[in-house]
Amino acid sequence: MSASVYNLAIPNAIPKSVNCSHRLASPLLLFLFIFSFAILGLAPIARAADWNVTEQQLARKIAAVTGPGAVAIAIENRSSLGRRDGEAVQNGLRLALEQLGLRFVNPEQAAATVAISLSENPTAYVWVAEIRQSENESSVVMVSVPRSGGPTVAHDSMPISLRKTLLWSQDDPILDVAVLEESAAPSRIAVLDARSVSIYRMLNSKWQLEQALAIPHTVPWPRDLRGRLIPAKDHLLDAYLPGVVCRVPGGASIILNCRDADDPWPLISEGLIGSGGLTPAAAFFAPTRNFFSGVLTPALGKMAAAPKFYSAAALPRGKYMLWLFSSVDGQVHVVDGVRDQASSFNWGSDIATLKTSCGADWQVLATTAGDRATDSVRAYEFPDRDPVAVSTTADLPGAATAMWTEAKGDTAVAIVKDEETGSYEAFRLALACNQ
Amino acid sequence: MKRFVWRWLAISSLLAVALVAGAETRPQYGGTLRIAMREAPLSLDPADASQPDSFARRSVTLLLFDTLVSADEAGRPKAGLAESWQPRGNQSWQFHLRAGVKFHDGTPLTAELAAASLRTSNLSWNISAEADSLIIDGGPDLPAELALSRNAIVKRDPSGTLSGTGPFHIADWRPGKKLTLAAEENCWRGRPFLDAVEIEMNRSFRDQMTALELGRSDLVEIAPEQAQRMPQDKNRMARSSPIELLALLFARDASSPDDKILREALSLSVERGSIRSVLLQGAGQPAAGILPTWISGYGFVFSPDANLAKAKQLRSQVRSAPVWTLGYDGSDPGSRLLAERIALNAKDAGISVQPTGSSSSDLRLVRIPLASSDGWVALEDVRKHLGLPPVKGGSVEDLYAAEQALLGSQRLIPLLHLPVSYASSANLRNWSLRPDGTWNVADGWLATSRP
Repeated sequence: MSASVYNLAIPNAIPKSVNCSHRLASPLLLFLFIFSFAILGLAPIARAADWNVTEQQLARKIAAVTGPGAVAIAIENRSSLGRRDGEAVQNGLRLALEQLGLRFVNPEQAAATVAISLSENPTAYVWVAEIRQSENESSVVMVSVPRSGGPTVAHDSMPISLRKTLLWSQDDPILDVAVLEESAAPSRIAVLDARSVSIYRMLNSKWQLEQALAIPHTVPWPRDLRGRLIPAKDHLLDAYLPGVVCRVPGGASIILNCRDADDPWPLISEGLIGSGGLTPAAAFFAPTRNFFSGVLTPALGKMAAAPKFYSAAALPRGKYMLWLFSSVDGQVHVVDGVRDQASSFNWGSDIATLKTSCGADWQVLATTAGDRATDSVRAYEFPDRDPVAVSTTADLPGAATAMWTEAKGDTAVAIVKDEETGSYEAFRLALACNQ
Repeated sequence: MKRFVWRWLAISSLLAVALVAGAETRPQYGGTLRIAMREAPLSLDPADASQPDSFARRSVTLLLFDTLVSADEAGRPKAGLAESWQPRGNQSWQFHLRAGVKFHDGTPLTAELAAASLRTSNLSWNISAEADSLIIDGGPDLPAELALSRNAIVKRDPSGTLSGTGPFHIADWRPGKKLTLAAEENCWRGRPFLDAVEIEMNRSFRDQMTALELGRSDLVEIAPEQAQRMPQDKNRMARSSPIELLALLFARDASSPDDKILREALSLSVERGSIRSVLLQGAGQPAAGILPTWISGYGFVFSPDANLAKAKQLRSQVRSAPVWTLGYDGSDPGSRLLAERIALNAKDAGISVQPTGSSSSDLRLVRIPLASSDGWVALEDVRKHLGLPPVKGGSVEDLYAAEQALLGSQRLIPLLHLPVSYASSANLRNWSLRPDGTWNVADGWLATSRP
């Protein structure tokens, strides 16, 4: 299993207004100033310390060729190292060389010239020193240090804002994330991937793995594997995967009971049932494919089946229910139980219903294929049969691979494959009214 | 050639409009993908060394067969048919096979079958099967080497039938002409989205582009000099990092000190920068090393700059120089132009080089597809190509020393590192280029198809 990236809670960095005298405030401010200076000042030192060993190694190799004495040195950063890191390494190398008895002079006065390149290959930073001691005498020494990756962020603005909060990130594809407990922020979550249901608890601002429950399956998973986690009232949660249904009973020792089954997957989140007259509905998932077969239970009015679809959203309409199916033909089928109207909304394959206190209360979140490899999400309302965009667009850091309404029905979880890092990220999507 | 580019631009614009109409983001099942390629292999056996190595051949191999280990986007080994592996002692590795995998003919994958397959592709390897695992003698780069397509696991029947565990099985095979593949319903990685893949072989770059324009192909190869002028649409054009070595390969080792001096003079006379900017339209990177910098991290220390003065000076040290014949691929007009340009550069230094389309020559203009983005594996492959003794080591400095030793043999004069480029039709989605320059359509899908 690949290493997970933990979603660290952001500490409250801005203190509430301090109601005290200037006499007290001044030493406090002085302390804060010195403290922040120390923190900011130490950051580059800490960073430089990471390169220290490699700097020393290269310096020793260079000194072994040149010996102590006057050298002309030039350092060039040809790698993806940032400016700050690049400068820290340059300073570190100079210092390490000086400690070994090298003096830096102009090329005309130098016994040797040393051209150092901070380069890289797919797995490591490679620092190369080309040392020239005379017209015909040159040598090359080098060292390497393994590379690591980096993170990303996003933002938005309009009457209803669509906000995204990172819940979880990992290298392996995430199928769904369910929040099991929360107060101000999620404190216990379940993560579904192809291998397991993993349960994490937030302890000391870090997610700690409580249990990883392996999912047994007898037939190969389809490519573009999909799955759902549904928290339950009488037990911890259910997991739905193509041809497999699992249940986590809860209690002191957590176990996962799975069976090969084509049970229909719930389409309506628990928190939405009863609201606006919504009743439970489920759909059968094609066990070797990435879509729902279209067979619904119960049937939608006079329609026993919908077209094959990737995702669905339901909107209560007083006396009837308007269903939207993002179908495999690339269109959205608007179904009211009698008529099936196929439309092109230029949406992606994933849609989800939300019940909020914003606008007309009921919104549909839809993914949109972006012009790059990144997708975006937006909320829409349906005054009639056509969507009206009601929120800002939330740009996702990569392609959306899943989006499901959460248990309470007022938020959704979107899974994204981050274009830059290649890792999978689960975001909670929530609407903020009148922002 | 210009007409091609303009037509391409016009069609691109139309297709871009068509693309906006349907924005589905989830893969669809169904359809037949049509691919064209220049190579015309006569055998699909990845271990058949008589067939020339090429990116296309490697790509096709990986549609039919799987390797024990595959390479991730950074070229690092990741699980394939082997779920895990660990070193055993200093010089061997243990690979644990994935359970439940079957060959296309229904036979379960076993350690014995995997061992037999690897013995066929690597006669000198010491391999043994132990329950569900394989023990293979090898150094630190063995996992990366096992990711090479030539090490794919193949079940070979006495009748000559090949069976793999890949996402597609052979539906029809006309050697050197056309290969038709069908989706493997029970593939351990899941059934591919495509129903079938048709691969037309022995198609020139020009024919491939025409087929793409006329909607007869969905994925084609692009000549390096043509790729530079194509619109850089991320969804429809893909270009690898420079992964192919364009080089002069001498048929024999240097026979005398004079021969060595002349070879060095020839290398110094070649204006790689001009070849890149004029003949290759800016494609590739001038090179004097075997490995490009993005693979080694140090490639820039081998200066590719021409030095005519030094070349002339070296030439003057040799009293009489032979006329070297320089062979090139007669079926490739670009190759002839390159050979003529090199002959011209050599003449400026006083070296006589005679380009020839004949297969027998003193030296040859070759394109060597580097085997891997792992520096050691790529270098070892070139070493085998040259028939030179193996060089072992672990650090980047060892790699540099090994590369220097290969260059020191003077069998090879590197000229440029070239990328490989492909173009696809608008409805082909989710195909990708691996770091080693091969295409991957196993997860590809066609937007217009219906499940």
